[in-house]
Order: sequence, then structure tokens, then C-alpha cells
Amino acid sequence: MQRTIRTRRLVTGTVALPLAAALLAGCSASAPGEQAQDTAPVIGGTLVYASGDAEPTCLDPHVGGNYPQALVASQYLESLFTKDAAGQIVPWLAESTELSEDGLTRTITLRDGITFHDGSKLTSEAIKANIEHLQNPDTKSSTGYLAVGKVLQVEPVDELTAELQLSAPDNALLESLSMPWSAIQSPDALKRGQAVNCEAPVGTGPFKVESWQHQQAVNLVRYEDYVLPAQDAGRERDTAYLDGITWRFIPEAATRYAALQSGEVHVIDNAQPDTIASAEGAGLGHLDAPRPGASNRIELNSSKAPFDDAAVREAFIRSLDVNAGIDSLFFGTAPRSYSLLSSVEPLGIAQEQLFSPDAAKAAQLLDDAGWGERDAEGYRVKDGQRLSLDFPVSTNQSVPAEQSLFEQIQASAKEAGFEVRIQLLDLSSWYGALAEHKYNMVSAPYTKVGPSVLQVIFHSDSTTPAPSGYFANNAQVTDDELDDLLTRAGQTNDAAEREQLYAQAQRIVLEGHYVLPLYDQQNHFLYGKDVAGMGATTAVSSPIYYDVFLTN
Amino acid sequence: MSRWARIGSTLFVLLLLLVALVPGWLAPGDPLAIDPAEAFQSPSPAHPMGTDESGRDVLTRVVHGARDSLVIGIAATALGMGVAIVLGTAAALSPRWLDAGILRLLEALYAIPSLLMALLIIAFTGPGVGPAIVAVGLSTAPGYARLVRSQIRTLRHSEMLQAATVLGRGTLLRVRNHLVPNALRPLLALITLGVGQAVIWASALSFLGLGTPPPAPEWGAMLAAGRTYLHLAWWMSLFPGLAIVVVAAGATMIGRALGGKVNAA
Amino acid sequence: MGTLRWAAGRVGGALVVLWLVATAIFIGVRLIPGDPAEAIMGGPGSQASAEALAAARADYGLDEPLRVQYLMFLGKLLRLDFGTSYALRDPVLGIMGQVLPQTIVLSLLALLLAWVLALVFAAASLRATRVGAVLGNAVEIIAAAVPHFWLGAVLIMVFSSTLGWLPAVDNGTGAGLVLPVLTLALPLAGFLTQLMRDSLSTALASPFSLAARARGDSRLQVFWRHGLRHAALPALGMTGWAFSSLLSGAVVVEAVFARPGLGRALLSAVLSRDIPMVTGIALFSAAIYMVVMALTEGIERALHPAGVDS
Repeated sequence: MQRTIRTRRLVTGTVALPLAAALLAGCSASAPGEQAQDTAPVIGGTLVYASGDAEPTCLDPHVGGNYPQALVASQYLESLFTKDAAGQIVPWLAESTELSEDGLTRTITLRDGITFHDGSKLTSEAIKANIEHLQNPDTKSSTGYLAVGKVLQVEPVDELTAELQLSAPDNALLESLSMPWSAIQSPDALKRGQAVNCEAPVGTGPFKVESWQHQQAVNLVRYEDYVLPAQDAGRERDTAYLDGITWRFIPEAATRYAALQSGEVHVIDNAQPDTIASAEGAGLGHLDAPRPGASNRIELNSSKAPFDDAAVREAFIRSLDVNAGIDSLFFGTAPRSYSLLSSVEPLGIAQEQLFSPDAAKAAQLLDDAGWGERDAEGYRVKDGQRLSLDFPVSTNQSVPAEQSLFEQIQASAKEAGFEVRIQLLDLSSWYGALAEHKYNMVSAPYTKVGPSVLQVIFHSDSTTPAPSGYFANNAQVTDDELDDLLTRAGQTNDAAEREQLYAQAQRIVLEGHYVLPLYDQQNHFLYGKDVAGMGATTAVSSPIYYDVFLTN
Repeated sequence: MSRWARIGSTLFVLLLLLVALVPGWLAPGDPLAIDPAEAFQSPSPAHPMGTDESGRDVLTRVVHGARDSLVIGIAATALGMGVAIVLGTAAALSPRWLDAGILRLLEALYAIPSLLMALLIIAFTGPGVGPAIVAVGLSTAPGYARLVRSQIRTLRHSEMLQAATVLGRGTLLRVRNHLVPNALRPLLALITLGVGQAVIWASALSFLGLGTPPPAPEWGAMLAAGRTYLHLAWWMSLFPGLAIVVVAAGATMIGRALGGKVNAA
Repeated sequence: MGTLRWAAGRVGGALVVLWLVATAIFIGVRLIPGDPAEAIMGGPGSQASAEALAAARADYGLDEPLRVQYLMFLGKLLRLDFGTSYALRDPVLGIMGQVLPQTIVLSLLALLLAWVLALVFAAASLRATRVGAVLGNAVEIIAAAVPHFWLGAVLIMVFSSTLGWLPAVDNGTGAGLVLPVLTLALPLAGFLTQLMRDSLSTALASPFSLAARARGDSRLQVFWRHGLRHAALPALGMTGWAFSSLLSGAVVVEAVFARPGLGRALLSAVLSRDIPMVTGIALFSAAIYMVVMALTEGIERALHPAGVDS
């Protein structure tokens, strides 16, 4: 019942024929009824989607830029580029692109005949307006802002062609432009001001935002003038099969799953590990789409004691055995990672031996680092200071199983003499704790297409906050050699050199014990028996419901 | 109060105190000790209440959780009662205009439902055990304060007090020796009812993620954690849930036996 | 004339209460350490922009002396201007208009169901055997002691996941209301049953009832003719309290069943430190309470004109 996931389908193929061949490692969707896949698509019906994420405060993913925004925006906004089933970056709204000899001018030509939901035509002015929107500090973009950070200015050359002037060569630019956080919106709509645009962004996607009833649902309806940018001979019509999507927010995991079981909703995200196993037994579908970019990891803040000492960081990592916990808490749905990068990133390297538990070595390292004494409660002390670690955990970003894993880490670390102080925080307080550097360790997801995420999360420049206030280098790694490697890796035009430079950079971070990788960023969707055509996703693994239809 | 009810409730209180004071005597294990290999074990002789998602023994945690849960319940009630006694006594003994003012203040406190009040306080202070106690305590105070006030107003005109006045005792002495103790008796019934309710409200805050932080074995937090695994491991939430119900129900029965009415808590 | 005076006193009292609540919130916001403009805009974690902070400062007159700020704050409330929720970017008043009816419908249905259940149980207890009485007593005490969120989770598991009889979340048919209303009503029904049974047994032991029994009326007839009224009155007097406890329960129930409403709005406002929203919800829930109190007092006056005192 396993079938490969498709990212944007560019080659021909009917809905009935899942695209096989080139597969992204680890992505799989098990469809409940393969028969359903063989029936002709049914037109009509409204799909009810239940998200476990907090309701976004803005539906425009340029603003801030987190994954819940990407999940919903993938239905109504499209990007210039996307990732095909083989993992290659390919044009989407763009038709072609060229790079100048010096790597400083990127020319992008758009497809002709595409219109925004407001009726305006997609032209090169839109590229300019959107990149300027991302770079405007008032937009308070963090993800998209970083993605287009090297773009100095955009000059429309003709109606469909624009030239992007770069401050330095950027071999990740196309990857950056494939993400929903840098998706293209109608320039007219952007002019309406942020408050209005947040309520109903205007894009070119197969669905458009009809209304947003706060705290209830975002209502999406089919965009009747949709033009599929790529050719797809298998489709008789360009418009989506569904009449619309009701995008609801059901924060309680058990309620969300019960609603799927009893049929009030068709698709749920943030599926709990224990329900995934039982869902497959109950005939429900499962889409496993690990996010690209960084793996899910705990970052150790190297800018302050005690983790400013590499030996203490290694001792901490060596004192933990997280594998047993991951196995029992995630029911086999989350394979252990030993890499900084997601398993969908081909350039990631894994170094398992750096993370093998070794209590004796951990104790030796701590003794040598001056943490030899223990206090009455068994925690190590040095100069009267207890070996304490503040660990703010965002309840919005860590599912219960992950929170339990952190509790287990706390218990294991205690035996080695570390006092881990977990603070469960809402998102706002969690950002606040990070902004004020009130943490020694933190688990902060970061999704980006391609290995350039390494630059975002480990370059010393990322220790200074983006306009939104967020800084991505939570491990506070400041290493000149690493900066140099990352800069060169991001600029080279030679694929082999890029791979080799990124490998070197990863080794420095891994061997510096800045990070404890856990698993891929989990992205599990469950869907009902009457849902067919699931599988297509954007470059950031957010599903698209363009191909989806309801069988009854 | 029937003899059996008296014996039963005394035993119940003693058992609770025993569990809260020396949990290790009943459950010698470590409530925080993890064992991932033993996660989600159903109840068995080795783990009479099963194990949780980290392989911790649920029985051990329920027993050790008694202290945290009861401390929250008792502290919140004590705080509410403290505020109530001050305001209620002041209102009862004050001139009419001040009495009316205090009554309005109580009404303002009462007008905001308990959990909403708790959330309001947390909006200003941030989450945690302390704010939870203050929130639950303050939100129950007006109910107690009204009873204190009406008790004292009744007593003020009672024969005993008049007798005391005739004997020429000072006002303060009158308050201390007669008013307060006589007002306290029905309050005692109310307090026991209140402790049970406070435990329930505190558990609701834990459910909302605003109460006791993990991995402390507080019942509300355990119940909240267990509900995620309800269809997989019912024992994770059943037993801490039962503990809350037993304490709240036990408190209600004792309170009723003491002559309390259910309405003021 | 008496009714008019009573009504005027009620309205005046309600205004005083609302003023006290508003004042408490004003003081509360100023007690948050740091910049009050930042506190209003969601605290340090929200990373409010300089313009947003400046706007908040102007809006709330934060550069003025405290006395002026307070008067400005009250002045706005008097004009029903509750400001704009910074997290939802909507006027607080508009959001209230959306969420309030949801919570009120939920709470009223739960109140109604709790009343019906309590009456049925109280009446049934009249005919119960000794064992039945003990059992009924136990059930009502346990029902009153069950946390809402756990009850809700269990009901969802049984009726939605396992049996598939009832939807776990709203599906537009109204069937989605059944489980939330049940979750909210059962604990309250436990309380009300206890209360009603107490007053019923007192009423049925009264000379009035005994005389009716002596005339040959059955216990049940006596209950319907005399007992009910006596049982209902004290419980009716508790309606304000019951409604207030339902609003508390609604916070949890709305979270469990993913229902929009006052409780969920407050929870998300608290989590995002959305002070204008928090202020609005506090004042509105206080106002609801005052209305419910006035209504029940009015009904009591109508039923029992002589018996109403402060």
C-alpha cells in the first residue's frame, strides 16, 4: 500500500497513475483504497481540513513566515519555482531562468497567460513588488526575508522578464524562491495594506481565499480561471476538482483524530504517532512528508555557560540515550537522525558515532571541566553554581510525544548531574525567551529548501535578529572558518564543490557538539477513506489539494 | 452526621494526609524514574495502574502527586478564605456605605467566572503554579466572603453577642472570641467543598497548559498528559482522574456531613 | 414603582461593578513590568514594530500622566470602544459579537439540560429504595467532581471514535452540540440535583405537603404541585452562580471540542497576551453575569414577590 509522494507533477500522468520512479527518500503516502485511485476524479464537494496548529495571525506567509502559514497558503499562492519528483528545482510560475557569468544577475521569465484571483495579469512587476514586500521591514518577514537577502534590486525588463541584481552569487536563490514564504501575490493586493492583505492574500493558486472567520475556519473556494503552469496531459481541466476547502483549527489531538474517524473532517495534520499506527489499521490514509531543511534537533547555546565549553556540550550529548525514547514514543514513525539536515536533503551527512551514549566518557569530561562535585540533589556544581540548563519548549511546536521525549532527556541528564529546567511556553513567550537569550538549549524547527539552511542556522550573521525579531542561529555558533565555508558553499557555481564545502561545514558543527539531532521534522497527515488523489506537495512538503477529490 | 459517615470521612482524611506526607511509604519507587522500554504497559501486578508514555509507574505517580495536588487545592482555598474573612468581616462590621462598597467589590470579583479570572490573572503574570493558586483562590473568595458576612451579621444580633456586650467586653475581644469562631463553623464545611473544587480548577489549568509544569506528578498534569493517549492507554488518565474525583467527592461528602450546602463554593 | 427602583438599583450596581473590573484591569496592565505599550501589544515576544508601539502609546495616551490615561481608558469604554485586538487585527467589539452568541447558546443549552436532569433525578430519588438513594447520591457527587476536559475526552472516545454515533466537532447540523452540551451539563446537574433534593425533602416534609398527602394525593402529585416550586426556587437562585460556572467550563469545553466562543477567544488572547481582547472579554463576561443575575432576580420577584431581599 505504499506509494511514492509526488511533488508538483510536471510530467504527464493521469491521476490514476501515481508517479513512480524518482522518489524523495522517506516520503510515502499509503492510500486507503487503491481502487479509489483508479476511478475517474469526482468534481465537486468541499474538503474539510483540520489543522492542529495554532491559527495563523496572518494568512500572508510573507509576514513572519512559519509552517502553518505555508500549509494553508500552498492552496492559494504559488511560487516562481518548485521541486519535481526527482528533487530538482524546476520553474513553476517562471518559465525559464538564466544566470549571468559573474553570478550577480539572475534573469527570470514568467509564463504567459496566468492571472491572479483579482483578475490582474501576472507580470514581471509582480516579482519586483513581492521581493520588495519581503524586504520591507514593515512586513516583518523572517523566513522570506532571509530567502531573498542577497537580492539588491529587481528590474522588470519587459512584461514577463525581470532581472534580479544580487549582492553576491547565491546558488540557493531558486530553492529560496520555491518556498511558499516567498510566493507571488498580486501587486495590487499587496498595496491594500497589511491588515487587509493578511485577511485574504491574492495569488494565482488553484483555490482562493473567500473568507476567514477568525477562530473558526478559513474558507477557500476553487479559482475558476486557474491555469496550471506546467502541462499535464492527464487532466481534462485546469481547475481543481474540489469546490472548496474548509480549513479548520482543532488543537486537541484526540478530538481531531476522532473527527476524522467519524467523518466530520477529511484530512488532519499533526497526526499523533500513536494514532498513525492505528489509522493505517482502520483503513485511513497516511501521508508522511518530512519537511526539507534542518532536521529536528536540540541546539545547545554555545554563547554562555555552561555550554560555552565544548567538553560540557559533548558530555551532555554523550550522557543521553534518546533512541529508546524515540522508538517507544513515536511508534516507528520517526527514524532517528544523526544529521543536521532533513533526510530529503541529498547533501546531508550523518555521523552516528558522535552521538553514541557513553556515560563514563561524559562523567570524565565533566570532571575534567571542573564539574566534579555534586550537591545534595545529585546535580554537579562548580564554584557554587549548579550545572543547570534552561530549556524553553514551545507547546505550539512540540507535539506531546516530543514533550515527553524532552522529559526523558531531563531524567537521563539528571543521572549525569545536569539539571534541565523545562519551561513549557506559548509561542509568544517562547520567542520572548529566545530573544532575551534566556535559554541554554532549545528545539527550534527550521524549514527551507536545500542545504543553504545551514547558512541560515549556523552562520554567525544569523545571531543578529531578522526584522521579525527572530534569529535562527540558536546554537550561537560563531566560527570564522565555518562562516567562510558556508559563504563559499553558497556562492560557488560548481555542484561538486558545493557538496564538498557543505560537508565540511556540517562536520565542523557536528564535531563541535553544538547540536543533538533527533529526527526529521515530522509532517504526518491522515485522511479519510473517501479522499483520493493525495500526495502532491510543494517544495517544502506542504500538501496541495489541487489533485484531490472526494469519492462520495 | 451519621456515625459511619464520621468514621469514614475521618479515615479518608487520615489516609489522604498519610499519602501526602509520606508517599514513599505507600509507593517506594521514584515518580520521575523513566524506562522507555516499559512505556504504555497496561495494569499488571508489577504496575497495578500501568505505566505512562515514559515507562513511569502510574501508581507511584498518583501517590506522589497527592501532595502537589492537595497543596494547590488547600493553598488556593486558604488564600480565598483569608481574603474572604478580611472582606466579609469588614463588610459585616462596617457602616452601611462601606458595607455596600465592599459588597460591590465582591460582586465584581464574583462577576468573573473562576476559570476566566484565573486566565485573566495569568494573562498578566504568565503561567505557573503560583499564579494558578492565586487565581483559583481569588476567584473563590467572594463566595466565601458573602457567607462570612452573612454569618457575622446574623451573629451580631445573636443572644451570645448581646450577652458579651452586656458583660462589657471590648469590640475587638468580641470579634475575636465570639464572632470569628461562630462564623467559622459553617465555613469549615464550605472549605472542604472548596478544596475539592480548587483541585478540579487547578487540573483544568494544567489541561490548558497553564498549571504545574512537567514532569511533576500533579494529578491535573497527569490527567492532561494522559488524555492524549486515551484510546491507547486509558489507565494513564483513569487513575489520576479517579484521584481527583475521589478527593473532590470525598471533600463534598465531608462538607455536606458538616452541614454545608453545595451552592456557595 | 418598586420594580422601577429595583431596576434602577440593578443598573447602577452593574455599572459600579463594571467600573471596578475595568479599574482592576487598568491597574493590572500597569503592573506588568516593562513598557506598557509593549504589554498592550503582546509583550516582548510579539516583537511589535516601532510604529505599532507608537500607535498604542497614542491610543492609550501612555505619554500622559497616569490620571489622564485612566480617564481616557474609561472614556473609551463608555463609548463602547474596546480597541483593536492586536493578534486578530479586528475591533474587539466585532469579535465579541461573533463569539458571544456561540458561548451563550452553549451555556444556555447546558443550563437547560442540567435543570432537566436535576429535576428528573431529584424526582426519581423520591421513589428510590435505600440502595438506590445511596447509589444516586454517589452518582451526583461523582458527576459534580469530574473535570470537564476529561469527561469531554471520554465522551468523544465512546460516542464519536468507538460508536460513531455523534460528531466530535461541529459539522453544521447541530449534532455537534450534543457532546459539548453534555460535557458542560453533567457536572452542573450533579450540583443541582444535590441542591434540589435537599430542598425537596424539606418541602415534602412541610405541613403543607403532609396535608396534601393526607387528602390522598400521591407522592408524585404532591411533588408536581408543591414540591417542584419549593425545590426549584433555591436552585433558581443559584442560576447566576450556575451560569458563571458554565462560562468557566466553556473555556475548557470549547478547547476540547474546538468550538469558537468566548472561552477559546480568551484562551488565545491570554496565550498571545492580547490585552485589548482580554479587557473586552473580562468586561463582557462581567456584564453577562450582571444580566443573568438581574433576570433571575426578576423571575424570583415575579414568583415570590415578598420573599426577595438583598
